[in-house]
Amino acid sequence: MMLLTLALVLLPMLAGIALLVARPHAQAKSIALLTSVIGLGLAVALYAGYDATNGSVIAFQHDWAPAIGLRMVFGYDGISLLMVLLTAIVFPFIIGAGWKKPLSEPALVNGLILLTQSALFGVFLAQNAFLFYVFYELSLVPVFFLLLRWGGEGRRAITMKFFIYTVLGGLTLLFGLVYSYLQLPAPRNADFATLQKVVIAPDVQLWLFWVLFLGFAIKMPMFPLHSWQPDTYTMAPIQGTMILGGVMLKMGIYGVVRFVLPIVPAGVAHWRDVVIVLSLIGCLYAAWIAFRQNDLKRLVAWSSLSHVGLMCAALFAANTAGITGALYQTLAHAILVVALLYLVGGLHERLGTAQLDAMGGLKARMPRLAALFLLVMIGSVALPLTQGFVGEWLMFNGLFEVSPWWTFLGVISIILGAVYMLFAYQRSMLGEAHKAGDLADADEIDHWVLVPLIAATFILGVYPQPVLDLLQAPVEQLLTLIK
Amino acid sequence: MSAIILLSILGVVLLYMGLGNNKRLLAPVGILGLAGAGALSFLDRRPLPAWGHGAMAFDDLSVAFCVAMAGITLLLFVFGSDYYSRTQENVAEHYALLVFSLTGAFLLTSYQNLLMLFLGIEVLSIPLYILAGGKKRSYRSSEAGFKYFLLGSFATAFFLMGIALVYGMAGSFDLKIIGDYATANAEHPAALFLVGMFFIAVGLGFKVAAVPFHFWSPDVYEGAPTIITAFMSTVVKMGSFAAVYRLIGVHITALPLAVERTLWAITILTLLIGNLIALRQSHFKRLMAYSSIAHTGFLLMAVLSGDALAGRALFYYTLTYALATVGLFVVFTLAKRAANGDEHIRIFRGMFKSKPWLAAATLIMLLSLAGIPPTAGFLAKYQVFVLAVQNGYVWATLFAAVMAVLGIYYYLKVIRETFTPNEEGAVLQLNATNTAVIAVCGIGALLLGVWPMGLI
Repeated sequence: MMLLTLALVLLPMLAGIALLVARPHAQAKSIALLTSVIGLGLAVALYAGYDATNGSVIAFQHDWAPAIGLRMVFGYDGISLLMVLLTAIVFPFIIGAGWKKPLSEPALVNGLILLTQSALFGVFLAQNAFLFYVFYELSLVPVFFLLLRWGGEGRRAITMKFFIYTVLGGLTLLFGLVYSYLQLPAPRNADFATLQKVVIAPDVQLWLFWVLFLGFAIKMPMFPLHSWQPDTYTMAPIQGTMILGGVMLKMGIYGVVRFVLPIVPAGVAHWRDVVIVLSLIGCLYAAWIAFRQNDLKRLVAWSSLSHVGLMCAALFAANTAGITGALYQTLAHAILVVALLYLVGGLHERLGTAQLDAMGGLKARMPRLAALFLLVMIGSVALPLTQGFVGEWLMFNGLFEVSPWWTFLGVISIILGAVYMLFAYQRSMLGEAHKAGDLADADEIDHWVLVPLIAATFILGVYPQPVLDLLQAPVEQLLTLIK
Repeated sequence: MSAIILLSILGVVLLYMGLGNNKRLLAPVGILGLAGAGALSFLDRRPLPAWGHGAMAFDDLSVAFCVAMAGITLLLFVFGSDYYSRTQENVAEHYALLVFSLTGAFLLTSYQNLLMLFLGIEVLSIPLYILAGGKKRSYRSSEAGFKYFLLGSFATAFFLMGIALVYGMAGSFDLKIIGDYATANAEHPAALFLVGMFFIAVGLGFKVAAVPFHFWSPDVYEGAPTIITAFMSTVVKMGSFAAVYRLIGVHITALPLAVERTLWAITILTLLIGNLIALRQSHFKRLMAYSSIAHTGFLLMAVLSGDALAGRALFYYTLTYALATVGLFVVFTLAKRAANGDEHIRIFRGMFKSKPWLAAATLIMLLSLAGIPPTAGFLAKYQVFVLAVQNGYVWATLFAAVMAVLGIYYYLKVIRETFTPNEEGAVLQLNATNTAVIAVCGIGALLLGVWPMGLI
């Protein structure tokens, strides 16, 4: 297990550095795809070798700067494993999204993507709070360059805004972790197993909660800390948006589960209603704005914001169904966002624009792409038999235990979600064609990317049990810590 | 002690070498001498009361500081072999004065009594007054030298007055006795002792460029020759902080409450003003000046935490800060040359295109200053946070964490320029010695972060 775990972090890192250094532009995407597929293989092997009854596994440990609590401890439990799988599944498709029409200097792009993946594996495999933080911040650096160099209009200012916003959350998180770590009795380390047992005075927890939560709330982002997100998602190159929305956002959810819930349970109990209400407001507000969007990419950005609001609300319901649902939904959402963005990118490539009013009647001109779009759309509005449905059903269950009214608000957002998604489909694919002329229909590569993603949506929608098994033990353990 | 003697002789030798015409030999001789001084201070450590009736003592911390400062000066000399090959006459004097100044910094790491502290500060400063004005025909440089001299002597006067008052109350220059006096009178300190400590704080605050004694630093950093700016922001900072730590971190630990509160106020102000003003700078040297002020804030926080490990934290922080800063000033000099003397941060543009490795090293050094993992600067800041929180300074630490975000912003601005394509296409030239310096700094800034080598 030690080798597998380390290989997950090191392989994409070394491959990424090699791409940046040697710059084989012609072979870059093949190398990157191969690396990410091997990464997927490693993650699956890790999953296959994991016995859910074991609880958390420590695969590798080594002292780094023990005097200040920083140790190199890699390991995983069911939640980590889910996140690792999510990352491993999504990245080959992100790399595949650049297959047809790569960005300039593909070696650099793919190198940076692999470095991001390595840092994300590090985030999810770290079993020490400060090691987690190291990777958490490190993952920003390659993304910063992806956005800065290959972003769209206004990238210089928007990239800075994104980075500063996130780093602000990061440093307050660091402070919160340092503070929590120092509340442990003297020979201490910041390994999760130790840190989760920390006892913090209830009145301290009231403010420490926000210190710890701020960074994750920005990362997700939770209303009203979302102002960086729509611009950044829209401006970023498609692959960058996929990384941000598909995986990096989940670091926020994961962080709440790892740190906020176990370290400051009293704070969570006290602020729970505030967070849930803010999240639901964000959820509805974003859904409403998504409905009004004309730009398809912006629409996806706002819809992602809406979905993540619901996840955050369910997470803070802090019961089995809510937490399991939110975690399950991270996987569903990752797959969905990547598929949706791939479609947006494909339409943009063909039409030269992602504006809805420039589309219309596309179904007649590219029936296969329209069919794929429809299938992705079905997953997105969480119809039964798709994995979105499983996640949402669990989340509503969790919320319902807290208050039926909040469930009601959440359900409204789902209805709005169905409305704006189907409306977008209608405006783009159905109706009168604005222009005549041939458009390339979905080709082989489009199918290679989209079909597995859609298949995953349906398989996990019909048979979610393997994932739920993965989550059951750690979520229960988490709940005993909270109580 | 023998290291200090060696350095004094080295300075004189370098001065005499200037009489001949062999400019080329200066840097190698200096480098050899510095390496010797570093080695000697390592071999020659001896605890209290070792030298001059207990005037000096070389413990582990002061030896570490001495070796590191000799190393940083050595890097600057290697850079100097290129820097001085084209811009300066009277090169020998420059090298000699740098060595003299370093001698003062050595004194500052190991003094045991206030007179030696005063001596150290003056030996450190007087050569710098001259060096800051080193470009004789430059208006800015002369202004820098003169301004530094005037304000510096003003601060020295305060400092001396402070020493006199403290001596008057405690009855000795010896730090241990003063420390005992302070502990004994911790509840009701005498007014004169208080005033004395305030004055000493003013003098040292000036040296480390803490707000509100920082006004000299941007102008002096800007006007002084770049190599001197690099020296001031690294070796001088290390020496001054070693001095501050020895004074209030090791000996006078029971600071009167009023003094301690004032020092915290200074720290908070330093963090705030340094970072805020740095946000608006687009002139590289001024940016580095304000960022250096900001770093002073973090370092003061480590000292004031009063932790037993604060000395180590200071050493690690200043060392990693110095490595990154020296490397960046070398890069800046090269870029400035290519841009015909422009000092705006836009001169970094196009570096990634023409010299990707150089851009990578610059990136690492800037990330280290910004404190982003896995560079050394991150471990340094994180360690300061741990020390401060551990000793109960929770809100100050939270404030410092937020200020660190501002820091990240202005370093990112430089990173952004480095990776922005350049329209004009001026290509900077690298030679072997400069490459070596930048490589040492870049690799050091990364390696110390990934593998702290027992320094933490």
